Amino acid sequence: MTPELKNHLSEEALDDVLIGLGTAQSHAHLAVCPECRDQVKTFLGDVTLFNAASIAWSKSRLPRPYVSEPRVRVHAAFVGWVVSAAALVVLAFGVWHHRPDTAPRQANSVPSQPTDSEAQIAQDNQLLQAVNAAISPDEASPIEEYKILESSHPYPKAHSKKRMK
Amino acid sequence: MATATLSALRIASVQRPRLESAMAQRAGVISELDDIDELVRLHQARIRRFVTFSTGDADLAETITQDTLLRAYRGRESFRGDCSLSTWLTGIAINVTRDHLRSGRYKFWKHLKATALDVHEMASFLPSEAVSPERRVLAKERIKELYAVLEGLSYNQRTIFLMKFSEEMSVDEISEILGMAVNTVRTHLHRALKAVRSKLGAKI
Repeated sequence: MTPELKNHLSEEALDDVLIGLGTAQSHAHLAVCPECRDQVKTFLGDVTLFNAASIAWSKSRLPRPYVSEPRVRVHAAFVGWVVSAAALVVLAFGVWHHRPDTAPRQANSVPSQPTDSEAQIAQDNQLLQAVNAAISPDEASPIEEYKILESSHPYPKAHSKKRMK
Repeated sequence: MATATLSALRIASVQRPRLESAMAQRAGVISELDDIDELVRLHQARIRRFVTFSTGDADLAETITQDTLLRAYRGRESFRGDCSLSTWLTGIAINVTRDHLRSGRYKFWKHLKATALDVHEMASFLPSEAVSPERRVLAKERIKELYAVLEGLSYNQRTIFLMKFSEEMSVDEISEILGMAVNTVRTHLHRALKAVRSKLGAKI
């Protein structure tokens, strides 16, 4: 029996081999000891299966829509500037158009009146004069004949004022 | 003085091809980093796998994977090229995971809704070329058992185990990325291996 096969590798020595820190002595033992070699092989086989399945699973996962943030930031800044500039232009245009339009718009807002002819004006004046003559105070009221106006009404001034109106 | 300058130039001329090679390699990786779609295509599945089995939460892993790739893309200028790109990305993924695990938001959602990984589903993805049809059922059982053991490990033990045996990193690389002493990494690995082999090794 060779010295390497006298004892199997200790747990720690086996772990060191798996970690990649095995000594030359450990590797020499593994070269001639099928049992220790099987332990290493089994462990690495399980890890290989795990890695193969897990990476296949990870690749199969549907990625979320990837947001390339730096590009979006550049676009957002650009769009922001454009929108601000457009808003300023619209505002300036509105202010510029607002002032000269104020007077004409007010004038236009009053509906246009049809102009009267000279004959129509003369006819209206005649009518107004006739009305004035009809309500003129020069003509005596029939009530005054009975002299009841001042005695019957307690507030003659107020009453007369109302009537005058 | 002149001799010193000459010897410095000689050293420089000897080192130049190696330096140029390293620079060219770095330039190649940086150009890979410049294209975020390419970065996602090449590394998303691997990072998602690592984070999923490290945290045990598939939904959280999805978020962390995206954060990792975005952070790598934004910080691509800081990639020095002194390790492989996948190692660098794994380091970022670990930092992002730590940030998430520390945040109160994660703890709240973790209590509210744990999105545990469906290991049966995962095992069913075992590629047909990886194992013969006769051994397929047994292989799936071994995968489930290995995952069950990993679930029982501490976060550090599980993460270090995955870094070593899934990401195929050296102990030195793990030590550097995690900021742990090499002996501490070894201790975690020994404990993880002891747990795994005591459960799976008994069936040999």
